[in-house]
Amino acid sequence: MKRKGLRSLALAACLTALAPVVWGCGDASDGKIEVEIVQYKPEAANYFKTVEDAFNASHDDIHLTISSPNDAMAILKTRFIREDYPDIIGIGGDINYSYFVDADILADISGYEGMKDVNEGYLEIAEALELVPVDGTYILPYAANAAGVLYNREMFEEHGWQIPETWDEMLALCDEISAEGILPFYFGFKDTWTCLAPWNAMAVELAPSDTTKQVNKGQTTFTDEYGELAEKYMALLPYGPDDPFAYNYNDACTAFARGESAMYPIGSYAAPQILSVNPDLKMDSFVMPASDEKEGRTLNSGIDLGFCVTKDCKNKEAAYEVLDFLYADDTLQKYIDAQTSVPCKKGNFTLSTLLDGMTEFIASGNMTDYQDHYYPSEMSVDALLQTFLIEKDKDAFLKNFDTSWQRYNRDIIRMVQEYEAANGSTQ
Amino acid sequence: MKQTSTVGKSNKTVMVLLILGLSTIIFPLYMTVVIAFKQPSEMTNSISGILSLPKVWSLQNFKEAMEVTDFWNSLKNSLLISGLTVGLSILIHSLMGYTLGRNKSNKFYNFVYLFIVSGMFVPFAILMMPLAKQTAEMGLANWFGVILLYVVFYMPMNIMLYSGYLVNIPLALEEAARVDGASTWLTYWKIIFPIMKPMHATVAVITALAVWNDVMTPLIIMAGSSENTLPLAQLNFQSQFGTNYNLAFASYLLSLIPILVFYLICQKQILNGVVNGAVK
Amino acid sequence: MTKHENERKRTFLLITIPILALFICFNTIPLIRGAMYSFTNSRGFGSHDWVGLRNYIDLFSDARVGKSYLFTIKLALVTTVVVNVLSLILALGLNSKIKAKGFFRGAYFLPNILGALVVGYIFNYFFTYIVPALADMTGLEGLRSSILSSPNKAWIGVMIVCAWQAIAMNTIIYISGLQTVPEDVYEAGGLDGATGWKQFKHLTFPLIIPFFSINMVLCVKNFLMVFDQIIALTKGGPAQSTESISYLIYNNGMSGGQFGFQSANAVVFFIVIVVISVAQMKFSSSKEEQL
Repeated sequence: MKRKGLRSLALAACLTALAPVVWGCGDASDGKIEVEIVQYKPEAANYFKTVEDAFNASHDDIHLTISSPNDAMAILKTRFIREDYPDIIGIGGDINYSYFVDADILADISGYEGMKDVNEGYLEIAEALELVPVDGTYILPYAANAAGVLYNREMFEEHGWQIPETWDEMLALCDEISAEGILPFYFGFKDTWTCLAPWNAMAVELAPSDTTKQVNKGQTTFTDEYGELAEKYMALLPYGPDDPFAYNYNDACTAFARGESAMYPIGSYAAPQILSVNPDLKMDSFVMPASDEKEGRTLNSGIDLGFCVTKDCKNKEAAYEVLDFLYADDTLQKYIDAQTSVPCKKGNFTLSTLLDGMTEFIASGNMTDYQDHYYPSEMSVDALLQTFLIEKDKDAFLKNFDTSWQRYNRDIIRMVQEYEAANGSTQ
Repeated sequence: MKQTSTVGKSNKTVMVLLILGLSTIIFPLYMTVVIAFKQPSEMTNSISGILSLPKVWSLQNFKEAMEVTDFWNSLKNSLLISGLTVGLSILIHSLMGYTLGRNKSNKFYNFVYLFIVSGMFVPFAILMMPLAKQTAEMGLANWFGVILLYVVFYMPMNIMLYSGYLVNIPLALEEAARVDGASTWLTYWKIIFPIMKPMHATVAVITALAVWNDVMTPLIIMAGSSENTLPLAQLNFQSQFGTNYNLAFASYLLSLIPILVFYLICQKQILNGVVNGAVK
Repeated sequence: MTKHENERKRTFLLITIPILALFICFNTIPLIRGAMYSFTNSRGFGSHDWVGLRNYIDLFSDARVGKSYLFTIKLALVTTVVVNVLSLILALGLNSKIKAKGFFRGAYFLPNILGALVVGYIFNYFFTYIVPALADMTGLEGLRSSILSSPNKAWIGVMIVCAWQAIAMNTIIYISGLQTVPEDVYEAGGLDGATGWKQFKHLTFPLIIPFFSINMVLCVKNFLMVFDQIIALTKGGPAQSTESISYLIYNNGMSGGQFGFQSANAVVFFIVIVVISVAQMKFSSSKEEQL
């Protein structure tokens, strides 16, 4: 007890010594309600800056702050460790969202008016992300992205290349491009996460969309489900640059923008980056074909950005007002223009011409979520993939995938199986 | 005569080797400066393109980099944190070093000394996660918390330095003052503290260099507070440079300049300080 | 006199207690809390359960953790050797009778004052673009591709950057060691005909052994905790070949969901550092006694 008293005494002594400096930094509150958003896409920082300004200019009672830090997920988690919650977080529909729902950090926003306007497909995707089914809705899906293959339209027109619709056509096209002395693909595998883009794009066709859930229930293994996928991924490698592991995402975007390769297997989110290097580039996209059946193709698309209100948020009304502003048609349109993404809201939006090759899939709702949205980040599947691509040992990779999965997901698997036992198999 | 000529010759070889070795230091710095001033269009993959000087010495990259990383604010934070840490370290650690150094024969103080000094082995990795929680609970998830943590982290090293230095200061000095009726507290500040000046310089240099360049502590404690130190700003804005390496290098150079200037001015004191610290 | 004694005792106690409390508050207590988290399955946020020794059992069967220890220890050992050899040579050069001594010393110390993160970023660019371009020109086949892209060679890149900065510090310490060697030792040695390598081995080196041990301790400890260079150069890649222990703890413990597991890793890491440091000090003090 005494020691504690003395400790605070010591702290107090230090604090008094520094008091003038501390006061100098205090922010003047002018009675407005403060709403803070942390969103995880640093590439959209400029867009959110304008949203912040526009919102504050039009609202007298609420002051909005939006921060778009680099490596926001680490920052968010550090803040959660400190129990210091922003009012609204902008995150993707991935495993982190699953964790946050499970950790009871997010508020149920099913009562929010704007929920009515959300495209049901994305609400289903969000629901599928819950580790075990939970009542309520915890995310307002904002924008989706799609992963496939970006291609240099001018180059394709010039050489008369056709968009491939089956795996064999894909390989034939690559050979054709190589024969002309042009590099078919660019990869930026130094940034491990880029290894996931082609993987995801092919996985939607080659593996069941709920592979991870089946594994958690003990019904299958990755070795059984991912074999063909791994082989086909390896087959793409020779069509990339000599040393794909030397270049990062930025380098690959730059190279593709400068016409150093005909195609780049990456998500639509890369478009702004590519266009910033070469604004005149004519590019389009197509769905990555991975099997021999045209009809089996489906677009790899998931929630790229959604907004969640935290349980800790003091003023839900103010938070909903901010969401209203963000979800207004013209604000959202500006976002999808800037980020070449797909809106998660129903209504008439103009999509980027860059998505032309994917529109029919989007319109018909033929979309499947990313497999990696179910992978725990600490398992670093991206790094496992990178290792696999370097060492080219399929069996070791799949075996490692299975054992790592069991290790990293042990608590989740137990939770899922307990739930199954208690509620009976739901599916 | 013969002897001196061989000495002269070997010295010349040494000189040549030293100058060659120096190029491993100068070359990266030269490249940093050159790249920072160039425009993206000047970046080619030929040797001459890599080595050549920029066509125009424009400060445009620096201006842009300053905006992206909020340079002045980060600089202010870095100066504030380093300055206050150094000040507090000198005051607190010298006092503690004195107390522990003068009571080595006492079991309790000897234990405290060993207890604190053994803190040197605690890697930051084990502290970082609990500290992230704890500083927040105490309302210290800000630059002030960072300073407090630094004062604790560098305590083991600095206390060792101070109490080691104290061996050179005769007890008689204090006893003389005591005879005049001065309290221990006053004697310390009037007599001992000024005598330890060389050690203050050492502590100041070592602590300042370590704090100035540290990324981990502010990364974990101040994450999300939108306040950056210079190195933290580099980390946080790295992705916003995109493929514009020229902009990135301008920013790197900016973050190096303050410490370079400081080094050019106080080179001698820094070298002496660092050596004292390491060798003592 | 007793009054004075009492006053002195009281003052010392009043100084010690708050400062000790501060130390306990921000060093000892977090250390204990960290150790406690190592027995939970905490993700850092949300609720957690006690899992007993599970994390520790997992730790010793986790290939990734094992790999990170091997990498970190390999890096620390090799870098320590490289740094000490080079800085000893450099120190001998800088301590010989040359012109512009002050300038050279100042210049060679420069890398040490620069922040490791920014230095890492700069070297990252070098390894990715400049070195391969230069290799292309000069026809050095082995360096055509970035060394950071090869799982077998990336650690060399990390080592180069660590060494580039650390050599400065070690050199300066060796120089001050060499300055403690009195001139007449060489004169006496000169009479016996000891020159060059022999002179160094039998006369100079034994006298600077204490400085050698300082450098060893400094190097090993610093390199075992390597973090900034990893963040700036490789982020643990390629193929997880350069994940240092600190990096893994930060990356999976803070940004990933393995708070509890990585706490256990941190506890083990702490023990490893203590054991290595104590062993080193025992070893070097026994060496010094022999002389």
